[in-house]
Amino acid sequence: MSEKIMPESEKITPIREKILANIRVQRYTPGKDKSPYFDNFKMEVETGMTILEVLRHIKNTQDSSLTFRAFCRSAICGSCAVKVNSDSVLACSTQLMPILKDFGKGSVTITPMSNMPIIRDLVVDIDPVIEKLAKMHPYLVENRERVPKALEQESLMSQKELEKFNVMTDCILCAACYSACSSVKTDSNYAGPLTIVKAYRYSADPRDNFSSMRIQAAMDQGLWSCVQCRKCIKVCPKDIRPADSIRNMRQISIEVGIHDTPGSRRARAYTDDVENFGQVNKPMLPVIVNGTKGWAAIEAAEAGLKKHGMEPTRQVCTLPGQKVTAKIYAKVREIEAKEKNQGENKV
Amino acid sequence: MLTYDVLIVGSGGAGLYAALESRMEEDVQVAVLTKVYPTRSHTGAAQGGVNAALANVDSTDSWEEHWFDTVKGSDYLADQDSAELLCREAPQVIREMEHWGCPFDRTKEGKIAQRPFGGASKTRACYAADKIGHVMLHTLYEQGLRHGVDYFNEWVTLSLLHNGQRCLGVNALDARTGKLHTIQAKAVILATGGYGRIYWNRTSNAYGNTGDGTAIAYRAGLPLKDMEFVQFHPTGLRRTGILMSEGARGEGAYLLNGWGERFMTRYAPEKMELGPRDLISRAIETEVRQGRGGPEDEVFLDLTHLGAKRIMERLPQIRQLCIDFEGVDPIEEPIPIKPTAHYSMGGIHTDINGLTSIEGIYAAGEAGCVSVHGANRLGGNSLLDILVFGRRAGVHALEYARKTDFLPMPKNVLKMAQSCINGLMEGDSKESLADIRRDMANLMADKAGIYRDETGLTEAVNKLEELKERYKKLRVQDKSKVFNTELVAGLELGNMLDLAEIVVKGALSRQESRGAHYREDFQYRDDDNWLKHTIATKGTDGKPVLSFKPVTITNFQPEARTY
Ligand SMILES: Cc1cc2nc3c(=O)[nH]c(=O)nc-3n(C[C@H](O)[C@H](O)[C@H](O)COP(=O)(O)OP(=O)(O)OC[C@H]3O[C@@H](n4cnc5c(N)ncnc54)[C@H](O)[C@@H]3O)c2cc1C
Ligand code: SF4
Ligand code: SF4
Ligand code: FES
Repeated sequence: MSEKIMPESEKITPIREKILANIRVQRYTPGKDKSPYFDNFKMEVETGMTILEVLRHIKNTQDSSLTFRAFCRSAICGSCAVKVNSDSVLACSTQLMPILKDFGKGSVTITPMSNMPIIRDLVVDIDPVIEKLAKMHPYLVENRERVPKALEQESLMSQKELEKFNVMTDCILCAACYSACSSVKTDSNYAGPLTIVKAYRYSADPRDNFSSMRIQAAMDQGLWSCVQCRKCIKVCPKDIRPADSIRNMRQISIEVGIHDTPGSRRARAYTDDVENFGQVNKPMLPVIVNGTKGWAAIEAAEAGLKKHGMEPTRQVCTLPGQKVTAKIYAKVREIEAKEKNQGENKV
Repeated sequence: MLTYDVLIVGSGGAGLYAALESRMEEDVQVAVLTKVYPTRSHTGAAQGGVNAALANVDSTDSWEEHWFDTVKGSDYLADQDSAELLCREAPQVIREMEHWGCPFDRTKEGKIAQRPFGGASKTRACYAADKIGHVMLHTLYEQGLRHGVDYFNEWVTLSLLHNGQRCLGVNALDARTGKLHTIQAKAVILATGGYGRIYWNRTSNAYGNTGDGTAIAYRAGLPLKDMEFVQFHPTGLRRTGILMSEGARGEGAYLLNGWGERFMTRYAPEKMELGPRDLISRAIETEVRQGRGGPEDEVFLDLTHLGAKRIMERLPQIRQLCIDFEGVDPIEEPIPIKPTAHYSMGGIHTDINGLTSIEGIYAAGEAGCVSVHGANRLGGNSLLDILVFGRRAGVHALEYARKTDFLPMPKNVLKMAQSCINGLMEGDSKESLADIRRDMANLMADKAGIYRDETGLTEAVNKLEELKERYKKLRVQDKSKVFNTELVAGLELGNMLDLAEIVVKGALSRQESRGAHYREDFQYRDDDNWLKHTIATKGTDGKPVLSFKPVTITNFQPEARTY
């Protein structure tokens, strides 16, 4: 060992705590186990350990059959999403020590993501999600006004145009949002948050020329099924805010004039009614939203009211505030028109 | 039996570009076989940028200057004709990526933005925030979906089939079902990435960067090139090897040893923490070897003196990285780091079209070695390599597939693969996979890492022999067919042991220091004797046989590499 050359320096002693923890992991091998069950693994967890390191430690030293996915171990590949105490997270970027301390019990429960079939232990089948994604036309189709044919030129795009969709290109397809989604849970045909994020990402790209096809694809796969519970926003490890993309996608679907969906008809009816009556004309909504099929619902509701001695109506009264509301609408239209003009001048 | 005209093994940038290029006209059937879902490949981890002399920011840049930087960076071991192609074709592939929708950042004029990078004489690296690899990978995958490339995800390739002259196809394991398959193909492109994992936890690479394709090619009799060259990055996080970018040092971070000394005063008193990567890596290694490391042989990157405000403002992502992956808040304490194996310069020997010594078999990307990186890769040149040579391999394989027919597949080709799997699965043993793997990694980091010398390397040769014996006795404990990750790890370990042996033997034979290869007993570059590539082929006794091949020099005579 050589002499210390800088006498003023002080030895570094990193703070590294250790806790004996109980790691509870859901296990299941199809064909072998009738149903999922839990295994408890005891191990010493130290400062700095991620959920993924803990799983790997168990696999290396206690049970080599414990099955999970992981690849980059740096939160960029999207392989390792699991549920930790019921929250969908990336195992590789979730520190365990704070969780153990937070709950004070020295115990943690790890289960596979929801809304996807289990392949084995913590590994779920994401193929159904990828198939839904593939149907969204998740790629750029060249807008020839923007994208040159020759490789001697770049397409020109401003940083501002890029920023419209840049954050969505952060998506790592980890499916945590899909696992948390309320609508996927009740309707397995719903495409799920990440697929619409991707559809919107390309539809907002000025170099693209395919947004109407994508809107159609999104509508076919339940664009209006999302209930805006925002769970996807809460779990997304990349802060992409899928629910916002879904709203934006709905917005452009209305703008490009595809009014013929239950959701967009509902949205339009709401805005029109509030302007006309100062409130939503609820009695007629079933027909407006669902077309002639809606009459059955209206008639049933009317029959119910009559049974209770009430007289049904098909048009709500106009509320006193309606005049003010109408003024607000006029103002909004004026501002929108102005912005549109400015936008066009800029291009 | 599955049959494809062109089969690509690996779905990183190299594999996906090759797939797309060969499928562009949609007249031949193309499939990609990959161990993970395509967008999970290691290419996605690249953050910094990709080089191309577009001259969007510095109008005086030219591909010729890029060419010179590349050759100089390689410590003159790159073949200058290949490096020329790399730099000449760079602007085209980058623009093609852009036309496919890759979200590069933009200049004020709306063109692709560029940033300065170490080792480059001009501002040349095209970037997309800190996610260039990620967006390139996704763009390529998505265009592949558009053009009808078939993907076989979570399929592990086991062996390469050829008849001594021409390609036949591959054997692969469908990890989900545990079933073995032979896939027939006129052309196979190996794009399986690097072998940084031979250093296991001391690498910035993904878990699966175990050099499978390189090992498979070697076992199929194909020559490998320059395998002893592995680039280390000085600052990887202690626990995981995850990269801490140069950004922190740029902001004024100190490097401290376990005694709290700013040790760079001893090695680079002027540049201090901003010295070149290899010098810093060696400095850290020396501190640790001389007993001045931390409790776990780490050193520290100290930001605390910058203060909370500056750290939160200027280095928020780096701070988050430390909190998420190391459990350390750099505002409060120094970050523990170790040098980390970062890039594999060596790989399957190919020509400028990615073609190997067997007709119809190609290699591209980090798995291959054309060679454009020589003894040391320049930052931003590997993403470029995977595009330029992925594309060339794709184009060439397509032409080849169009003009050839399928060869009849001999019977029993699956047998070898089956017996290799059975060998790992049947029976019991006391050996543990994790133990052998850890011992291999420690050995490699100690004896064949940043510092190398004859004694250490000779010891490594012998120890690897022992590890291989232990590996032969290893049995996988998990007997399930469904998604058996232990089996896959067992197969990967076999590949890594084969490659480790070649790395060590190459390093032992090369009696000079060049680029990333540093011999304590031969500290200088020796152009008279060693301006040549190392070629390793599998001998009849199963051991690597080394030969050498001259470097192609067309334009730049070797000079001292100083920055
Ligand atoms: C942290 C980090 C940052 C980097 N930053 C930069 C940068 O800023 N600029 C730059 O130019 N370079 C950078 N690099 C280097 C660059 O990212 C890689 O060299 C490059 O991405 C390699 O691409 P590839 O296509 O050759 O292989 P990979 O992307 O590694 O892909 C390999 C593929 O092969 C598949 N595969 C492997 N084995 C098998 C098998 N047995 N069967 C089937 N499939 C298999 C895998 O599934 C994967 O799809 C960085 C590297 C790292 C580690
Ligand atoms: S907001 Fe919509 S997409 Fe997001 S989780 Fe809720 S229902 Fe699903
Ligand atoms: S949107 Fe977020 S949560 Fe959903 S897949 Fe993408 S990164 Fe994961
Ligand atoms: S392992 Fe890649 S995101 Fe966690």
